[in-house]
Amino acid sequence: MANDNVVDVRGIVQTYPGVKALKGVDLKVDRGQVLGLVGENGAGKSTLIRILAGIESPVDGEVWVRGERVNFHTPTDAQRAGISVVSQEFRLVPELSVADNIFLCHEISAGGVVRARETRDRTQELLDLLELDVDPGRLVGTLSVADQQMVEIARALSREFDVLVMDEPTAALSAPEAQRLLGIVRKLASSGKAIIYVSHHLDEIFAVCDVITVFRDGNSVWNGSTSKLDESALVELMLGREPQAFVHTLCGQDYHDDDRPPRLRVRELSAPGLRRAVDIKVHPGEVLALAGLAGSGRMELMGALAGDVRAKSGAIEVDGVPVSVRSPFAARSAGIFMLSEDRKQEGIVPHLDVTENTMISKPWAARKGLAKWFTLSGLENSTFMTLRKRMRIRVPHGQVLIGSLSGGNQQKVLLARAVESQARVMLLNEPTRGVDVGAKVEIYELIESLAEQGAGVVVSSSDIPEVVAVANRCVVFHAGRPVGELAGDNITEDNITALALGQFKEVSHA
Amino acid sequence: MPEQSVLEATTVPTAPSGATKPRSRRVLGSGVIDSLVVAGPLVAIVIVAWAIAPNFMTGANISNILSNAALLAIVGFGMTLAITVRGIDLSVGSAQAFAACVTGISVNSLGVVPGILIGLLAGVVVGALNGMLVTLFAIPAFVATLATMTAMRGVALLTTDGTSVYISDPHFTQLATLSFGGVELSVVVAILLGIGTWFLVRHTTLGKHILAVGGRPQAAAESGIRVSRVLLVVYVLAGLMVGIAAVLLSSRLAVVNGTYGVGLELQVIAIAVLGGTSLAGGRANVVGTAIAALLLATVNSTLNLLNVPSYWQYVAVGLILLAALSVDGIRRMSKSRTGRASQAGGAA
Ligand SMILES: Nc1ncnc2c1ncn2[C@@H]1O[C@H](COP(=O)(O)OP(=O)(O)OP(=O)(O)O)[C@@H](O)[C@H]1O
Ligand SMILES: [Mg+2]
Repeated sequence: MANDNVVDVRGIVQTYPGVKALKGVDLKVDRGQVLGLVGENGAGKSTLIRILAGIESPVDGEVWVRGERVNFHTPTDAQRAGISVVSQEFRLVPELSVADNIFLCHEISAGGVVRARETRDRTQELLDLLELDVDPGRLVGTLSVADQQMVEIARALSREFDVLVMDEPTAALSAPEAQRLLGIVRKLASSGKAIIYVSHHLDEIFAVCDVITVFRDGNSVWNGSTSKLDESALVELMLGREPQAFVHTLCGQDYHDDDRPPRLRVRELSAPGLRRAVDIKVHPGEVLALAGLAGSGRMELMGALAGDVRAKSGAIEVDGVPVSVRSPFAARSAGIFMLSEDRKQEGIVPHLDVTENTMISKPWAARKGLAKWFTLSGLENSTFMTLRKRMRIRVPHGQVLIGSLSGGNQQKVLLARAVESQARVMLLNEPTRGVDVGAKVEIYELIESLAEQGAGVVVSSSDIPEVVAVANRCVVFHAGRPVGELAGDNITEDNITALALGQFKEVSHA
Repeated sequence: MPEQSVLEATTVPTAPSGATKPRSRRVLGSGVIDSLVVAGPLVAIVIVAWAIAPNFMTGANISNILSNAALLAIVGFGMTLAITVRGIDLSVGSAQAFAACVTGISVNSLGVVPGILIGLLAGVVVGALNGMLVTLFAIPAFVATLATMTAMRGVALLTTDGTSVYISDPHFTQLATLSFGGVELSVVVAILLGIGTWFLVRHTTLGKHILAVGGRPQAAAESGIRVSRVLLVVYVLAGLMVGIAAVLLSSRLAVVNGTYGVGLELQVIAIAVLGGTSLAGGRANVVGTAIAALLLATVNSTLNLLNVPSYWQYVAVGLILLAALSVDGIRRMSKSRTGRASQAGGAA
């Protein structure tokens, strides 16, 4: 077999109970090439990657690496063949240090004894390469999601490899971190590595990929050079239909002379991670966006509002009534719902099915009759099915365990939970993390309809275009304090970026 | 193949943060702090015992406490490993009785060295059996070792026909009390095994794999760790520790009996958890186990000195177990809270 393809995937089929995740996909990548693998949530991208990583074996089809047919039975087999993987669901152990995680299962050791010094130094080199400023000895469980993502990447880079597979490596990263990563990806490619890059951020795909393969519904429907496509053509290939545009109807609405009490009013709130006390107000029907880099204080504020961390001082009112959010339960009872940034750890309840996951936050008061005391599966099921249709959640039925869904579909189930919680204040952290372009629009519409039904919605997002798309008003954080508020036409990507970077004066007023 | 291909391929950008680097400020390992948490009560109990119990601070009593603690700690190190991989070993008491009986019989019939080796082997066999039940048959450790606990008790009684076997060989019976500068062999062995286990957990690849399997089994498996093999090794090691303790015990008592070690599993679980090993898995504290063994042995001996009826001693162990478990629970809760808070604080 003389060809340049380092990896050649032919007719791979993979099934799970009740789902045919891959229906015979093909994919080829050459040395020095970056291949963008794109597709809707649930298209089968991660499934193929788990096969390439040796985590799962396919039902049918062939994988060829450097012209040889391979059969991976364990992750070690794949690593030996020179395939290194950044997986969508991190494979990190919270109880181990950064260094130990990076070298887990390929420890630098002599006679079974780990060489701590060398491990630390090599880790430091990798962290420097990624410009990640954390101590190699720190426990991974204490890192933010973004830093964990970086550690997962460092881990893939720590191995010897010919092929680097990256499954949504930038999903949890800030824009500058993502840019840096793209630079590294390009350099690796020019040094002759082959790279398979999965992302829902199409700008990244266009920035870094030489060739693109599109998956739809478990099939590979297109592949070719990036130059042959533009963004809308790519979206159409992914969705199999014309993309719909999101029209922001609420924008420009003024809530200042609304005489109802605000849904959420925060006075002089100070919390760990905030350098200054914060005042914010969210009116019924309003979407307030919080923008800013990771660590700028917006996530810390959300955590304090949801009872995750205790505020040091200050007052919180819901509908004009002072509430105390000493715990997540207290917040929930006060009518505040939070969608966590960390879907896997704090969002999904993996061993429950999608219906149960949806209904879990439904308040007692909102349940009627028998449903107060019993789970009426017929009723719950039909509620879920309605939401499934409205939000286009890809599951065959309501009894699928949420853990087996693709990342984006898990996110939609969690948003369905937000809808069912009927909370008056919705705190949404990174609502479209890992969600495909088509579904993004659906989620924006959903956020808007939550607001229209009278909730006060707070969206905290690192995705600036997203903030521009959904916000009526936007508070930008920088270095632990809110540094500016934008409303109406002033909510532009440039203004937000300028504020987020601490350039307060350059905000242009439209 | 070049080991550092990535780093060579991409010219490392001279990180601006490099100047502020060597941040290798090694905070006191949380393990040390957790051990201090146990050391406090130990000191308190020693002081109280000294004050109220006659003859507490006598050489004989102290050495008695130390050798009791040593036997508990040795089994405790194995239990620490089992708990770290989210498992448990309920069979330690019966396995100890079985290994002791086997040791006694083989020392009498085959001599000291073969007797000791066969005793150790008996422990290993029970450990391997536990390991196989847990890995090959995927039986939860709690149930699997509960079954071996019951079965091995029967086997132990069968090997000695339900009676006591006296060991006559003086070489063997002097072994446990062999003194190294005033320190008994069993204490020396416990210290060495403690250091060994600590080293295993902290500094070896197997140790990292044990922590990984306990912390996040799925992540461990997907990283390429052979989880079943790690589990098997852990249970075999736990069995080996039981065997070692059994040999020392039979040497010390010079008589073996199938009823030894009843309730040992609870005492040993108590010391492991009290020492700071998390029942949630992924966190081992070997030093803590040793300190907690001393604590339990001190409590037991003090109650003896005060002529407290043995029924109350059960109550005491129960209370200690309860205390250990609540400390573990509180520790986990505060971890999950302060973990977040410090993360938020650190980011600012
Ligand atoms: N372990 C599993 N058990 C059952 N079904 C599964 C399992 N893993 C994946 N699936 C199903 O296979 C399909 C493909 O999932 P996959 O994770 O590959 O999607 P994806 O393209 O990576 O999507 P996303 O962009 O959301 O990450 C989905 O319908 C998913 O529900
Ligand atoms: Mg995926």
